[in-house]
Amino acid sequence: MRILLIEDDDLIAHGILAGLRAHGLTADKVINAAQAQAALTTLHCDVIILDLGLPDEDGMKLLHRWRAAGMTLPILILTARDAVEDRVAGLRAGADDYLLKPFDLNELVARLHALLRRAAGRSVNIIERGPLRFNPDSAEVWLHGQAVVLSRREVTLLAALLQANGRILNSDQLKDSLYHFDQEIESNALNVHIHHLRRKLGTDLIETVRGLGYRIATEKS
Amino acid sequence: MSLRLRLLLMIGISLSVLWAVVAVWMLRSLNEEVHDALDQRLKMSAQMVTALISQNPSAWEGAEKNPKQSKFWWKNALAQDRLSEPFATPFWCEQGSQLDVSTIELPPIADSFDCQISSLSGEIIARTPDAIPEAVSATTPGYSERTVQGQRWRAYTHEADGLRVTIADRLAERSSLLHNIMMAAILPFLVAMPGGMTLLWFGVKSGLLPLERLRQMLASRVPDALTPIPVSDMSSDLLPLANTLNQLLERISITISRERRFISDAAHELRTPLTAIKTHLQVARITQGQDAAQALDYAQEGVARLQRTLTQLLTLSQIEGPFSWEDGNVVDAEQVARLAMRDATANGPKRIVFQTDGSVSQLSLPEALAVTALRNLLDNALCHTPANQDVELELQLVDNACVFFVRDHGPGLSAEELTMVTQRFWRRGPGHGSGLGLSIVSAITEHFGGHFT
Repeated sequence: MRILLIEDDDLIAHGILAGLRAHGLTADKVINAAQAQAALTTLHCDVIILDLGLPDEDGMKLLHRWRAAGMTLPILILTARDAVEDRVAGLRAGADDYLLKPFDLNELVARLHALLRRAAGRSVNIIERGPLRFNPDSAEVWLHGQAVVLSRREVTLLAALLQANGRILNSDQLKDSLYHFDQEIESNALNVHIHHLRRKLGTDLIETVRGLGYRIATEKS
Repeated sequence: MSLRLRLLLMIGISLSVLWAVVAVWMLRSLNEEVHDALDQRLKMSAQMVTALISQNPSAWEGAEKNPKQSKFWWKNALAQDRLSEPFATPFWCEQGSQLDVSTIELPPIADSFDCQISSLSGEIIARTPDAIPEAVSATTPGYSERTVQGQRWRAYTHEADGLRVTIADRLAERSSLLHNIMMAAILPFLVAMPGGMTLLWFGVKSGLLPLERLRQMLASRVPDALTPIPVSDMSSDLLPLANTLNQLLERISITISRERRFISDAAHELRTPLTAIKTHLQVARITQGQDAAQALDYAQEGVARLQRTLTQLLTLSQIEGPFSWEDGNVVDAEQVARLAMRDATANGPKRIVFQTDGSVSQLSLPEALAVTALRNLLDNALCHTPANQDVELELQLVDNACVFFVRDHGPGLSAEELTMVTQRFWRRGPGHGSGLGLSIVSAITEHFGGHFT
C-alpha cells in the first residue's frame, strides 16, 4: 500500500513515515499543497494522509478543491484541530476519516487499512482468493490453511495485487507500492519479487499481461 | 442598605427637617401675631367700655338694680366683642362697693377677662364680678403685666373722660390658645407622616421597578451568555447603565474569544511536539538498532521543542499577569545588552556585534524581562541570518528614549508579514520556533510603555 503524507512539520512527518514503514507500508511525504499536487500527478498512491495546517494553503481548501475536481482517493485528515465543528467540516469536505494528534501509530495503520478496504469495496479485512487467505493488517498469508512466510516486500506486492482485485497493475504502479522516493530500485527487483511470490504461492496466482503489467488471477472456474 | 430604604430615608428625613424648620418659623410668627391680636383686643375692649360708659353717664347712675341681667351682659359683651349689639338692656353696677359674685353663673370663656372701671382718682365704679382686684388695679395707662396668685396677667388701661378702664387677661390663656393652634397644625402632620412614608415606600418600589427588572434579567442569564441586553424598552434613566453594561459585555466577549483562541492555539502548539514525541517513541518500540536510536533522538528533539514552547508560554503569561518587581525596577541598559547577547549566542557559532554611544544608562523595567525581550529579538535575528554574517546590535538614545536596534541579514519581511509578526503562534513558513518570540517582545515593551517596530 502506497501512502502520501502531506505534513509540514518535519519532526512529525519523520515519525509517521518511520512508523508506517515499520508497519510494512510504503509512504512518502510532501510538505505543502503545491508539492502534494505535483506528487499526485506523477505518483500512484492508495491513501492520502492530510494535515490541515499547511503553510501555503489551508488543508480544508485543498480537500475541497480535490473533491471538486473528482479526485476519489481515500483521504485521512490528521490534525491537532479537535473541535467537533472542525471534524464535521473535514468529513463534509470529503475526508474519509479524521484522526487527532497526538495519535496512536497502530490506530493510524488500522484506519489506513480500513480506508483501503472500503475503497476496494470489502467489508472484512481478510482477502480470500481461492486457496489463498491474506490479512493485510497483520501481513499474514495462508495457503490451503497453512501459514506462508513472506518477506516484507513480497507482502506489500501481494497486497497491492489483491487490493486491485483483478485489475492490471503496470510495473510503475507496483514499484510505487514497493518503494518510497529515496530508495534505489534495481531494475529487475520487481521480477524477483514476483518470482518469489509465484514460487511460494503457486505459479498461476499472478498473471502476466504482456506489455501491460500484472494482475491477480481471476477465480478459478 | 438597600437602595429603596436609602431613598425612603433620604426623602423622609429631608421632608421632616424641612417641615420642622418651616413649622418653627411659622409658630414663632404665629406666636407674635396671636400676642398682638390679643393685645389689640384688650385695648379695643378697654376703649369700647370707656366709650360706652362715657356716652351716657346718667344711664348707669340711675339704673334699676337688676344684677343678674346686667352682669351677664357685661360678660357677654367683653368676651365676644359684640360691639355692634345695641344696648338692649341697661346695665348695673354698684357704685363704690364690692360686687356680689357668688350668685353669678358665667360661661367658661369669660374667665379669661377681668375688667374694672374707676375714676381717675381711683374710685371704683364697676368691676366684673369675679375679677381679682390686683389684676385690674393698674394706675398707668397702656399695657402692663403683673403676677397675681401665681398667674401672669396682662392688662390694658385706658383713661378718658375722667374714667380709667382696665381690662386684663391671663397669659396662661394665651399660651393655651397657642398650644391649641400648634396642636391643630402638628397633629394632622404626625398622623399623615406614617401614611405618607408607606405611600413613599410603594412609590419608590414602583419607581425602581425597571432596575429590578434589569437585575432579574441579568440574574436569569446563563453564565456564559455575553449577548447585549435588549435596550429597546428600557427607561431613559437606565439606558446609560444598560449601554455601559453592554459595552462591558462586548469587551468581555472580545477578551474571552481572544483568550479562547489563544488557548486553542496554545493547545495546538503543544500538541504538535507532543505528537512528534509520541510517534517517535512508538516507532522506537517497533524498530531496532539504528532506526530505533534515530527515533529516540527525534523524540528528544520533540521534548526540547515542547519545553521551549512551554517556557515561552509561561513568560507570556507572566508578562500579562501581575508582575512582581522583586528584581528591582531599574536596570542598566548595557548590562541588559550583554546578558541578552550571552544568552543568545550560547548555543551557536554566530556572532553579535554590539555598538553603543554610551548615552543610555538606565531602563525602568525588571532586568529579567528586558533581557528576555532583547534575547528573543536577537534569537530571531540570528535565526534568519546566514551563517557567515553577523547580527548587529546598537544601543542609542533617541528623543530621550532608549532604543535597541537589532539588524539581521536575512531575507526580510513583506509588509503583510510585518503586521502578523507579533501575532502569537505566527511563523514564517514551517519552522521549529514557538511562534511566540516576537509576541513576547511586543508584550513586554507594551506592558512597560515601550514600542517594538
